[in-house]
Amino acid sequence: MVREPGTIRNNENRFGDRVRRRTVLKAAGTGLAATGLAGCLGDDDDGTVTLGAMYIFSGFASLYGDEAERGYEMAVEEINENGGIDGQDVEIIARDTEGDADTAIRQMTSLIEEDGVDGLFGLDSSGVAQAMAPQVEEQQIPLMVTHAATPFLTSPEGEHDNSVGNEWVFRNCNSLSIDMYGAAQVASELDVSEWATIGPDYAFGYETWDYFEAFAEGLGVDAEFTDEQYPALETSDFTPYISAIIDAEPEGVITPLWGADLTTFLGQADEAGWFDAIEYTLFSVGMGTDLPADGSPLPEGQHASTRYDPFVPETEENETFRETYYEEYETLPTYNAEGAYRAVYLYKEAIEEGENDPDAIRDTFTGMDHSGPVGEYQFAEETNQAVVPAIWGTVTEDAEWESNVLDPVEVHEVDADELDDLLADSELPSGV
Amino acid sequence: MSTHDGITDRVGAFGREAVSNGWTTERFAVLGLIGLVLLAFGPTFQVYLFTEFMIIALFALAFNLLYGYTGLLSFGHAMFYAGGSYGMAIVLRDASPYVAEVVGSGIAPLVTFVLGALAGVSLVLLIAVPVGWLSVRLEEIYFALITLAFGMLVFSVIIQNPGGLTRGTDGVIVTLGITEVAGMEFRLGERRTYYFLTAAIVLPSIYAIWRVVNSPFGTVCKAIRESPDRAAALGVDVTYHRWMTFVVSAAFVGVAGVLIAGLANVASPYHAHWTTSAIPVVATVIGGATFFAGPIVGAFVFLYVRWGISRFPALEAHWEFFFGLMLIGTVLYFKQGAAGGLLMLRGWLGDVRAAYDRGGTDAALDYAKESTSERLGRGDRSAEEEGGDRE
Amino acid sequence: MDPSLTPAFVSVSDVVIGLSLGSRLFLIAVGLSLIFGVLGVLNFAHGAFYMIGAYVTLAVTNQVIDNFWLAVLAGAVAVGAIGALIEIGTIRPLYERAEGELDQLIVTFGFVLVIHEAVRFVWGSQPYSIDAPASLAFSVSVAGSTFSAYRLFVIGAAFVVMAGLWLFITKTYFGALVRGTSSDREMASMLGVDVPKLYTAVFFLGSFLAGLGGALSAPLQSTSPALGDQVIIDAFIIVVIGGLGSMFGAFVGAMLVGLMQAIGPQFIAAGHIAIPFLAMVIVLLLRPEGLFGGIGE
Repeated sequence: MVREPGTIRNNENRFGDRVRRRTVLKAAGTGLAATGLAGCLGDDDDGTVTLGAMYIFSGFASLYGDEAERGYEMAVEEINENGGIDGQDVEIIARDTEGDADTAIRQMTSLIEEDGVDGLFGLDSSGVAQAMAPQVEEQQIPLMVTHAATPFLTSPEGEHDNSVGNEWVFRNCNSLSIDMYGAAQVASELDVSEWATIGPDYAFGYETWDYFEAFAEGLGVDAEFTDEQYPALETSDFTPYISAIIDAEPEGVITPLWGADLTTFLGQADEAGWFDAIEYTLFSVGMGTDLPADGSPLPEGQHASTRYDPFVPETEENETFRETYYEEYETLPTYNAEGAYRAVYLYKEAIEEGENDPDAIRDTFTGMDHSGPVGEYQFAEETNQAVVPAIWGTVTEDAEWESNVLDPVEVHEVDADELDDLLADSELPSGV
Repeated sequence: MSTHDGITDRVGAFGREAVSNGWTTERFAVLGLIGLVLLAFGPTFQVYLFTEFMIIALFALAFNLLYGYTGLLSFGHAMFYAGGSYGMAIVLRDASPYVAEVVGSGIAPLVTFVLGALAGVSLVLLIAVPVGWLSVRLEEIYFALITLAFGMLVFSVIIQNPGGLTRGTDGVIVTLGITEVAGMEFRLGERRTYYFLTAAIVLPSIYAIWRVVNSPFGTVCKAIRESPDRAAALGVDVTYHRWMTFVVSAAFVGVAGVLIAGLANVASPYHAHWTTSAIPVVATVIGGATFFAGPIVGAFVFLYVRWGISRFPALEAHWEFFFGLMLIGTVLYFKQGAAGGLLMLRGWLGDVRAAYDRGGTDAALDYAKESTSERLGRGDRSAEEEGGDRE
Repeated sequence: MDPSLTPAFVSVSDVVIGLSLGSRLFLIAVGLSLIFGVLGVLNFAHGAFYMIGAYVTLAVTNQVIDNFWLAVLAGAVAVGAIGALIEIGTIRPLYERAEGELDQLIVTFGFVLVIHEAVRFVWGSQPYSIDAPASLAFSVSVAGSTFSAYRLFVIGAAFVVMAGLWLFITKTYFGALVRGTSSDREMASMLGVDVPKLYTAVFFLGSFLAGLGGALSAPLQSTSPALGDQVIIDAFIIVVIGGLGSMFGAFVGAMLVGLMQAIGPQFIAAGHIAIPFLAMVIVLLLRPEGLFGGIGE
């Protein structure tokens, strides 16, 4: 693959000057697809390892798909330049789930039955991921979830009414419960007597609040959990919700807003004097939006979490990933990009360790030890959830990277039993 | 040249023979059924796609029962699609243990499916009767807007998760289970089984809609579409007829909703969203609203074009762009939709044939060239003509 | 004054927020209503037009000239021109067609998809923000709540646009032509009005207003490819409540919806999606022509 020259651009001139590198790659990929079509049903012995990537590439959340694409394309480029997987090239076939379960399931079926993919990865929406879990079990194909965060996805079926976890579904990034464990740790160190939330009006928004409250109570945080505001997705003005929260006078607020909703919220919150009225705002997924966004919308000094931090751990692996990514795309890698990148490597290692066969891959993934930019971690045997730490830190502008970073950053290692203990009083599963 | 003649002759002879031997509707139907059975043994994904196509086709056809035959364009039919899928999903989730107790665990999944389907359609009727009664008072764009509003009200109720029934934005997962009858085990959700089940429900539904359209009731509906005032003058209760058509249309959409829940294995709140209401509208426009089969053809184009796009990564990344262009192009250049286009093609082939009969191959080719260039050149001219008309 | 201590049912700051929301909704709804009133076209792509207005403004301030007001003008004119081209190329051939209204709706729906993807291709999916112009970058305290001067300016701008449009439609020759054509196209045509040109001009004006709305809203919210998707449904609700084709209705409808959205969250924790649709159903059932019917009223 050819790396495009001149991808490093003047940051001030970033707007409207993006080189659509992926488009070039995509065009190159058409030939491959056409060959696949001619051969009709894909088979496993065509000399390539084929993986199906399912993300949201259209509509409101297309930011997530675009970020993931950067990650997996980088992994493919690296792997193929270095001898592929067991000597075979890896090829990714990307499909748009449109964030809709019907479409996602049709796309998955096509990837498995028409393209004969060797494994699946991706998924942004927790709702789609939950609908998909029973399907991959039926199809007997491994699915490595890289973004969708609901704990019910890795909570074994039967543990809770909503649990859908099974032996074919894995998640390589931290989940909502791990992230909220970290948030509760942060809360335990802050002098806050009243917490509130403003989150998007869907399951992710409510689950964030439920888990935050449950973990905080488990940790013995002495605070009240009061006002909840759930503006609809794609709200153009959050001011009414902002003033409702300010009027409730909490000292701390946790917000899982993301994407354009988050940046819109930040501008309007700033205007309404939010950051004067409210001492601490915890942005649970804010860094995923902040890094690729124009400017650095997250305000300095606030707390934010990430599922992967470009500077933690300080390993050579992470540094190389960060530098290569920055050189290529001119922003620091988001957790979406890293998750997708690492998913391709997980398949590479599983196939090289065992063989390219769904059962073998699944068996290797189960309880697997792995290391990537995010660090060294293991998949929990019971749940197939990667036991990765919760990462919370303080938003700080970094001149060198012309970007926000988390500094200081605190890494909260997690232990499955501890999470279960902390949640014992609630009915929530930890999914770890 | 000679090979050319040979082929044309052979095609012509084949056609004449077929017609003279009596290729009746029945024979076509038998042929179609054989095709359906053969397809079941084709590539497994194609079985899936065709199952989904049958469901969307029923959705669009039921929608067009209202639009094509009474002139009322609903932009909220997704509420009935969701009614069917949620009715089914909730019964499967909550009633399975009770059903198993009553009829025994072997046959329970099948019985629950039937109960779920009945529940789904009943739920749809429960919504459609009052909503239709209120909505049919309005016409044209106002009808479209009030159905849009009702549809979004249903959507907002679903995502509020009333009584823990709908599980909010996540939707309800559907598991069809393993049925055991007389020592035989089968999974209703198995690809081919579900395909035949869908065909066994969709085909009679299409036939039923066809009967409705060609009944005295349907004739009255067509009269209403042509001129509501004249129909009223003839003593037809226009509002009542529209209301009844609305309810029948909704019920069949509910059937499609029941089936999609079993296929996609989830009842998702987006089944009720206005973007889902747009699917039958788009399919009907693509296929042609004035033809009975138009929505079916449209649903086919809708689903298979999207599938075709997904086979090419370069297009898949920007599928909305190409899909949008296709919509615009279809409306602008195929006034009667794809079904109309097919009929036009048949007429045109007939004309070519006539020219051939008159003056042989050269005449036929000349006619083909002439008529094609005429069609292609017409785009600009028609705009000018229309401009002139208004001055 | 501490708002939490006032037992007032609706505080002054809620009203300001409502007007602010309403003024932006008005800027998008009024063009939609104008186009429908005169041409009978329900333009699904109106929200996409609004989005292009915001993107052009961003692009112009970032890359061409660092003057917000010129960029706003550029955004509005660019969208007006795009609208006019779309009208000439794809809507005009459909006026004479039976069932033409649905065809127009579908064509404009097709443009929603095309524009959405084109914007994503050029600018990517990530959200962009833009600062308010320096001359209005200060805060104003109203009844204990802080608002940016720019937000208050946009409220004023909506009133000015409303007044300007009213004068334009009722007092000018062009306005008379528009009114005449909207009530009886054939008569206007017979009297020598060049109807196709007038339609294009009205489509330009309506699109221009959408672009202006998007451009003026850019500093108040972030800009991303999905910007138009939500506002178009809000705009539909507003024009229905106000009366399809009525500009004054669009104004009142927008302010009502704005106030509903501003005050709603304090009383109803859930169901905020339902309220505007419920209002829409009630208006359609009781007064289908909307609270105000007819152009120029």
